[in-house]
Amino acid sequence: MSANQEASPAAFELDKVSKRYGNLMALDQVSLAFAAGSSTALIGSSGSGKSTLLRVLLGLEWPDQGTVKADGLVLVREHVLELRRRVGYVIQDGGLFPHLTALGNLALLPHHLGWSRERIRERAEALVALTHLPQSALDRYPAELSGGQRQRVALMRGLMLDPDALLLDEPLGALDPIVRHELQDELKQIFERLGKTVIVVTHDIAEAAWFADRIVLMRQGRVIQDGSLDDLRQRPADPFVTRFVQAQRTLGDAA
Amino acid sequence: MSRRWSALLLLLLFAPALFAAPLRIGSKQFTESVILGEMARLVARQAGVDAQHQRELGGTSILWRALQHGDIDAYPEYTGTLSHELLKNVAPDADIASLRAALKPLGIGITDSLGFDDTYAIGMREDVAAQLGIGNLSALAAHPALRLGFSNEFMDRSDGWPGLRQRYGLPQKQVRGLDHALSYRALVSKAVDAIDLYSTDAEIPYYHLRVLADDKHYFPHYQAVFLYRLPLEQSAPAFVDVLKKLAGRIPVDAMRSMNAQVKLHGESETDVAAGFLGVPSDQGGSSFAARLLQRTLEHLRLVLISLSAAVLLAVPLGVLSARSKRLGQVVMAGSGVLQTIPSLAMFVFMIPVFGIGTWPAIAALFLYSLLPIVRNTCAGLSGIAPDLRESAAALGLPRGVRLRRVELPMAMRSILAGVKTAAVINVGTATLGALIGAGGYGQPIVTGIRLDDTGLILEGAIPAAVMALAVQGVFEGVERWLTPRGMRIEARQ
Repeated sequence: MSANQEASPAAFELDKVSKRYGNLMALDQVSLAFAAGSSTALIGSSGSGKSTLLRVLLGLEWPDQGTVKADGLVLVREHVLELRRRVGYVIQDGGLFPHLTALGNLALLPHHLGWSRERIRERAEALVALTHLPQSALDRYPAELSGGQRQRVALMRGLMLDPDALLLDEPLGALDPIVRHELQDELKQIFERLGKTVIVVTHDIAEAAWFADRIVLMRQGRVIQDGSLDDLRQRPADPFVTRFVQAQRTLGDAA
Repeated sequence: MSRRWSALLLLLLFAPALFAAPLRIGSKQFTESVILGEMARLVARQAGVDAQHQRELGGTSILWRALQHGDIDAYPEYTGTLSHELLKNVAPDADIASLRAALKPLGIGITDSLGFDDTYAIGMREDVAAQLGIGNLSALAAHPALRLGFSNEFMDRSDGWPGLRQRYGLPQKQVRGLDHALSYRALVSKAVDAIDLYSTDAEIPYYHLRVLADDKHYFPHYQAVFLYRLPLEQSAPAFVDVLKKLAGRIPVDAMRSMNAQVKLHGESETDVAAGFLGVPSDQGGSSFAARLLQRTLEHLRLVLISLSAAVLLAVPLGVLSARSKRLGQVVMAGSGVLQTIPSLAMFVFMIPVFGIGTWPAIAALFLYSLLPIVRNTCAGLSGIAPDLRESAAALGLPRGVRLRRVELPMAMRSILAGVKTAAVINVGTATLGALIGAGGYGQPIVTGIRLDDTGLILEGAIPAAVMALAVQGVFEGVERWLTPRGMRIEARQ
């Protein structure tokens, strides 16, 4: 995987991308590349532009300036549907459709693409094993699932077509600490097993370090530092980096 | 989901066949007109002409337009109405010969006077008039505190109250519009002191009323005549012939007594007209159940066709409104304005386009149904959390699929609530359709008001209320059926 990393084009590449919402610069001249098969965590406070960055990669938002490339090709509107089908996207609450069962949610896109019922069921069952979702949960509605189960289903929905990449926007943000801890473990295992390009957005630096070796810290639409946890700790590019790293409380602080 | 939708729409679109048309005689919404209409139908039948009578088609303007439009072939009218209201370029006291000349270019023929004059007059309770010493219209000027109650038509037309007030210099300030059918009750119960009435009204002797003498000869002649479409002279000469033969046959006291037989003794217009003509009555004594069934079918047809057409247009409009804010405002404003048009006016507006009968009523109900459905569709779609809408987009589903598989099902509850509101409103508003010949539950209500017959009013009002409740119930079932189960259970945390 790392051997041909240099040869193949980056899975995603941003070149001087800017995006403005009114007075707010959500992205300000951001240039980043994400190698195929790599895991990256985007961190920053809310409003730092990290979620916008994910949305720009999927063509859910279009940059005011700069270009976005996926697999070396400049992203254009005509190809955005194909791109989205090659990328799994998971958001904080899962974004499951309440009128469909878990299986119905999983089946939505494959059904549109003409998969047979059996093939959909088969793929869903394979993913049930991967995500440790109880089999019976497939026939329940989102409102009948726990928060952790909903998040598992959302991940499964993102993986149905076996995409090349997974983009996760605060995937564990709405979960209680125990479930969150359990899912952090499982997600990490899943990422390692699948070897896909993973970009995960979080505001928790410990979670970021747990998921990825590479951490990109953003503030006010700009990349402040791009490196390992060690880099952020030992070689901060900016006093803000130190403040951000230290702002995360540990049990030691409380005592 | 889409199969369920189409099944529902097919069911709603079920529409009975259109009616085949023999000669059509119209009548206005008062007893005398209905009796004259029945008389025309009966003499036509005697002459072997197939004719039907569309009763109680509202006021003068509806019949006049329907005749010009060819929706009816003949109806009873009065010369004064023609010269004062309908024709612009004739003298106020024009005789029938000059009216005939003025009507000819419009393609309308007129018979000679049927034999009586049904002119406006002002009436008071005999006891009140005697006490105040009022015997003629001039004497009214000395009593400015009198409360006057006039039919809406009399209030508005130039040969009615405005002219009367001017001619006699009347000072009264308390002048109210009343439905003519209710004005006698108002007078007898002393809610008003004087009303307009017609010289052939049956109630004049019954309620002991004094008709004030028109000492300044203000009121014009209102000789009863039949108007008919001139082309009938070629296409149905026998029919025109029997209409003409009615001329001169009905003296004023005969008319007043026929009015009394119907209004005060509860006989049917058909029997009374047949009795006067000396021909057998053909009133099909249809049972209550048969009448109810027929009216229910007519009413359902009005509601279902208008509602399903509205769903077909309003749901897409709602989708567009949810998508584009600007367009949404335009659509909302447009359907909102439609909603403010009074029902009867809306029905009348439809006549030039759709004629009279079922279709203009359906068109009017259709327009009324748009707003609730558009609004609820738009609200249902706009209410979907942006996260969810974006999730559907992020999956890589095309727009149309997102709308069909995700957004519309999630908005279904709200859309159905809008359809339900429209349906219930339609059931009520459709009763007014009877005034333009659309039948339904409005028919007995209209007749009941005219004859002051509460039982008859209830014969229409109760089934209409029951139907409104049933519609409500049916839609709750449909809502349960079409709302996905996942949308009905509360989220667990």
